[in-house]
Amino acid sequence: MPYLELRNATKHFGKLAALDDIDLRVEKGETLGIVGPNGSGKTTLINLISGYYRPTRGEIFFQDKKISGLRPDQIAKLGIIRTFQSNVLYEGATVVESMLISSYQQYRTSHWQSFFETKAWKDENEKVVGRVIDLVKLLDLLNDTFLPAEGLSHGYQRMLGIAMAMISNPGVLLLDEPTTGMNHEEAKFVVDKIKKISQQGVTVILIEHNMRVLLDVATRVVVLSFGNKIADGKPEEVMNNQEVIEAYLGTETV
Amino acid sequence: MTAYIDYKNVVPKIVIGLTIFLIVLLPVITVNVATLSMIILSGIWAIAVMGFTLVLRTGQFSMGQAAFMALGGYTSAILTVKLSLPFWPSFFLAGIASGMVALLVGMVVLRVGGIYFSIITLALGEIVRIVAEQWEPVTKGTRGLITSPPPPIALGFFQINFATSTVPYFYLTICLVAITTLIFWQIGQSRLGRSFAGIALNPVLAEHQGIHLMKYRVIAFTVAGVFTGFAGCLYAHFLTVITPHMLGLWQSIQIMMMSIVGGTSSLAGGPIIGAILLYSFGIYLSRLPVFGIQQLLFGAAVALVVIFLPKGTGLVDLWERFWRKVVWREKEFEFDEVEE
Repeated sequence: MPYLELRNATKHFGKLAALDDIDLRVEKGETLGIVGPNGSGKTTLINLISGYYRPTRGEIFFQDKKISGLRPDQIAKLGIIRTFQSNVLYEGATVVESMLISSYQQYRTSHWQSFFETKAWKDENEKVVGRVIDLVKLLDLLNDTFLPAEGLSHGYQRMLGIAMAMISNPGVLLLDEPTTGMNHEEAKFVVDKIKKISQQGVTVILIEHNMRVLLDVATRVVVLSFGNKIADGKPEEVMNNQEVIEAYLGTETV
Repeated sequence: MTAYIDYKNVVPKIVIGLTIFLIVLLPVITVNVATLSMIILSGIWAIAVMGFTLVLRTGQFSMGQAAFMALGGYTSAILTVKLSLPFWPSFFLAGIASGMVALLVGMVVLRVGGIYFSIITLALGEIVRIVAEQWEPVTKGTRGLITSPPPPIALGFFQINFATSTVPYFYLTICLVAITTLIFWQIGQSRLGRSFAGIALNPVLAEHQGIHLMKYRVIAFTVAGVFTGFAGCLYAHFLTVITPHMLGLWQSIQIMMMSIVGGTSSLAGGPIIGAILLYSFGIYLSRLPVFGIQQLLFGAAVALVVIFLPKGTGLVDLWERFWRKVVWREKEFEFDEVEE
């Protein structure tokens, strides 16, 4: 039984097939890298899984439960949390406020308990704030805790995006290009953090252009090209695949 | 902007306490009907403005809040006049009826929210006014319904009589303002407030973190509807009449203006300050023999606030700046000079 499964997932935008009959099985604890040239449907794939788009055809299952057709918040409640390709933040909120808003799913006490500030709610709140601080430490945001989120540098905003996803304790973490616009050292830092996250037992699906990052972190790689899956396997095997090289560099003409 | 302005951090507790104390003891100083009714009506408007501000906290701009006052007022008037129900049950039914309408309209419109919500609430205001005008057998059309003040409450040998003096009504309004403030403040501090802030600041991100957008928008809109309905009921019974034109489009716009001038970033203080300022100012202006001067100057006030205090902090922000600069003598942050 696969953890997350896509069966013939298809997404059309008008006549354009952004994703065409994708079959994909993800096992628990894997770190799956998705690569492909621009416009190959990587982000569409994440948008389908997270419920931002509904598939035109096909189904998506999570732990044998059908999730295609659900709203994004219902899918998030099941434990599939995503980050965005651009820095999507709560503008106007500080780092700690953004984290507390994102901690929505951590609470088991009801809204009424929170409204009347019962002891159970206070205890739980303390626990969650403790987790927020742990995560902020893990992702190196401790110095910026009380700064407005939109004032952080690009790299730290991306880290905040990952932190906001991690506070929900996801089972599956969908990372949409976590290292865009970073230099080598920053990217390395992010890779270390992703490794730590996956060591905690989180299944990570990440889109990545940077091959060095991908080879380092992924246990399996899927290559997309024009909405089709053209390769699937261990990173080293995939990188030597003739079809993949053609998709990236074009065919050889003499 | 996720946290409300906490007045305890801006103004010393003693100043807040003293102000509340003075307001509560106002009837001891004066029993002038004009002064008291001004405070009562400002209080009623303040509740409506708080409702508007709560809906605004979820990122939705309601343009028909006066419709809920009209719904509350008419419900209670019809129940007491036509069905001769006592005042107190109809007071609560007024809030419930108004909340039910908010719930039903919200469930339909808040699926999309945004500009569609504003337009539909604008239309709702007009629909309520037209129904009140046309449904002659029940609402008596443009002549309106004549309501009676709440019945006297006997407390042993002491009797609270609403008909002979405005003082009991004054305390009733103050109580409702206090309860509304407390409940809305607590909503802002609880998890609900966090979710509201999330869906206002970034709906897409909030939805991907498991927050059901429509649910929280509907909760805010319904809670606002209930309390605005209570305010409308008080309004109708204080003025002892309710007509379709008392709570129309201009009143909805007034609610927005009070909220903007008082400051949208504070839930309780801004609406209260805005309501008292604009309402008393409006009363003064309506005595002037110039047609439309009230609308003109209110518009100018909103324009000034939007231009010079654009962060939604309204006049509260001016007060905060004054307090920081003049009273605390807070200096601008300076870096320590590095010694060579």
